[in-house]
Amino acid sequence: MDFDFSDDQVSLRDAVAKWVDKGFDFSRRHAIAKAGGHTRDVYNQLAELGLTGLAVPEAHGGLGFGAVEAMVVMEELGRGLVNAPYAAGALVAPALLAAAPAAVQEVWLPKIASAEALVVLAHQERGARYRLHHVTTTATQQGSGWVLTGQKSVVPAADEADAFIVPARIAGAADAITGIGLFVVAKGTAGATVAAYPTQDGARAGELKLAGAAATLITEDGYATLEQAVDVGIAAACAEGVGAMDKMVAITVDYMNTRKQFGVTLASFQALRHRIADVKMQLELGRSMSYFASLKLGEPAPQRRRAISQAKVQLGQSMRHVGQQCTQIHGGIGVTDEYISSHYFKRLTVLEMAYGDTLHHLGEVSCRMTETAGVFA
Amino acid sequence: MDLQFTPDELAFRAEVRQWVAENLPKDLSHKVFNSLRLTEEDSRRWARILGKKGWLGYGWPTEFGGPGWTAVQKHLFEEECALAGAPRIMPFGPVMVAPVIMAFGTKEQQQRFLPGIASGEVWWSQGYSEPGSGSDLASLKTRAERQGDHYIVNGQKTWTTMGQYGEWIFCLVRTSTEGKPQTGISFLLIDMKSPGITVRPIITLDGEHEVNEVFFDNVKVPADNLIGEENKGWTYAKHLLSHERTNIADVNRAKRELERVKRIAAQEGVLDDARFRDQVAQLEVEIVALEMLVLRVLSAEKSGKNSLDIAGLLKIRGSEIQQRFSELMMLAAGPFAVPFEHEALAAAGWQGEFAHAAVVAPLAGTYFNMRKTTIYGGSNEVQRNIVAQTLLA
Repeated sequence: MDFDFSDDQVSLRDAVAKWVDKGFDFSRRHAIAKAGGHTRDVYNQLAELGLTGLAVPEAHGGLGFGAVEAMVVMEELGRGLVNAPYAAGALVAPALLAAAPAAVQEVWLPKIASAEALVVLAHQERGARYRLHHVTTTATQQGSGWVLTGQKSVVPAADEADAFIVPARIAGAADAITGIGLFVVAKGTAGATVAAYPTQDGARAGELKLAGAAATLITEDGYATLEQAVDVGIAAACAEGVGAMDKMVAITVDYMNTRKQFGVTLASFQALRHRIADVKMQLELGRSMSYFASLKLGEPAPQRRRAISQAKVQLGQSMRHVGQQCTQIHGGIGVTDEYISSHYFKRLTVLEMAYGDTLHHLGEVSCRMTETAGVFA
Repeated sequence: MDLQFTPDELAFRAEVRQWVAENLPKDLSHKVFNSLRLTEEDSRRWARILGKKGWLGYGWPTEFGGPGWTAVQKHLFEEECALAGAPRIMPFGPVMVAPVIMAFGTKEQQQRFLPGIASGEVWWSQGYSEPGSGSDLASLKTRAERQGDHYIVNGQKTWTTMGQYGEWIFCLVRTSTEGKPQTGISFLLIDMKSPGITVRPIITLDGEHEVNEVFFDNVKVPADNLIGEENKGWTYAKHLLSHERTNIADVNRAKRELERVKRIAAQEGVLDDARFRDQVAQLEVEIVALEMLVLRVLSAEKSGKNSLDIAGLLKIRGSEIQQRFSELMMLAAGPFAVPFEHEALAAAGWQGEFAHAAVVAPLAGTYFNMRKTTIYGGSNEVQRNIVAQTLLA
């Protein structure tokens, strides 16, 4: 039982933090958001640091790092409010491709590592809410290949991605956990069109419309892989949230120490001191559960799923609390577009909805309650 | 980064688990699992069993006859005791006053007081709070005046937990009114059989006698019973507080009680009610998060890196969770939580007039009793001030 980071992990953190300091200040984020949320340039810069190969096996040109390294990077990207589809492209996609035949891996994994290809999971459907097994997009065999028909929603960086990993139904009812295949659809495939839009947090997403689009099979029985990859995404969202909360709290503390009203600093008011104490509580509970999520990623599915949902409940609540309270403590400046804290608030809000919001995951925890509770249950 | 305990730590846990299973009397764990009242003799019995094994002073270093356990081992010991349904160790002797005697007492005082604490033979009480000094402890007024080779103590202490059984009491007393309030306080050990001491019960809202008022009327205390130097008592008391780091969160007990919430909710037919069940799930998440917070503090203590100054957070969260599990248990019982069956708490074997009455009878009382947790040990509002102090200018 040890929550210290290794020297290598500390170096990795420092390297990312150093790049953020030099390469991604608030004015850059602001400009990206105003211009519609295009972030491929940022993503490519992360590749220059080697970060897009973090989770790709060494045999495919990556670093083959683990969950804790991913967490460290996500914390720093969150702290810097770095706007890039990093978790989607560099962490979730390799986890999905782990189930692919060697030939498919050889096509995509080296390109992911080098950021030549941005590959994103396109799994959400209208009416599915956050249920991963609700899949109505169909996959049918045509000759030696497959074609997909359906619509995937709120796909990250949809018009900047080079390929999509699409869960599609091969057999069974819309809610069955069996009969869900995973497929790769390359950008520009006939029958695959993208309608993109900006997102609330200054990035970009879109609808992927599939009308008999040709697709490459990853696996015909993909639900377990999908769950595993989404859990990777959840752990990443948790870690990003921790970094973002940490910085938002620091900004708020600075503000409390300097802003004066009634002739004294905000820090002198007990009502606000108690608010910031509660914020600190939520931050530390969130940090604890982010560690928990990343450290549980390697466990067998039942334990992993339960732990990940427990973590997302805590992070969802922490992120909402910290975002709302830090905005309140700031007063008027907190609700302006020009000031950085509102951008943290919006990112934290979107992260709560990533891969299942608090109510969804509370339901998952509720379904999985057993006779023992606790970290080692 | 690693969530697992080391093989040595796991072996230690197995050893403690086996010993507790073999030595914890079943009638005591039955009472603990069902929130029945523990008598004086119940508490003394478990203390003596632990004392004989050398584990009552489980946080003590070897030089004072303790086991010399690491922070993680102490945590595992507390966990095994809690999960097995052991009565809580009365902290006043082994956990609170003993470390102060070790750090600031004379050799003579150590030889005189520590063996009785370690064996569980001597029951200690705490004399801190006063009617006019609750959260603002440093304003305390109980006076100790030096007269030759003894002090004359006059005043009143209150909220003295289990003081009705106390044989000795460690007190903060005022020896000077000069300077800041904190600088005129001394740490005095007082024999409760001394003439001039009166203990009066305070009955709490659950109808129980757990706390007391202690009156001092010209009580003669040998000057040999002063710990350290006169007027330095506040420093010693703070040292005492620094010894309660992670166990203040009481997360192990919370884990045990969460399982009881589930059992009672299942018995009362609300565990499958989504609205109720989700609240239990929420509490489960909160307990896991608290445990992770505790483990982070232990890890930091072990490695000496990343020191975590979050004792205030542990107190706030731990106490809120204790209130919450007691609240959910009471709510699970619904209207059957309403009957006030005081005799049910005393008698294992009491059946009552409706099904599961014995299980249900203690629930409301525990809920009422748990309101104390966010008030004592520095109210949660004081804790928030302390947390804010670590963040703000």
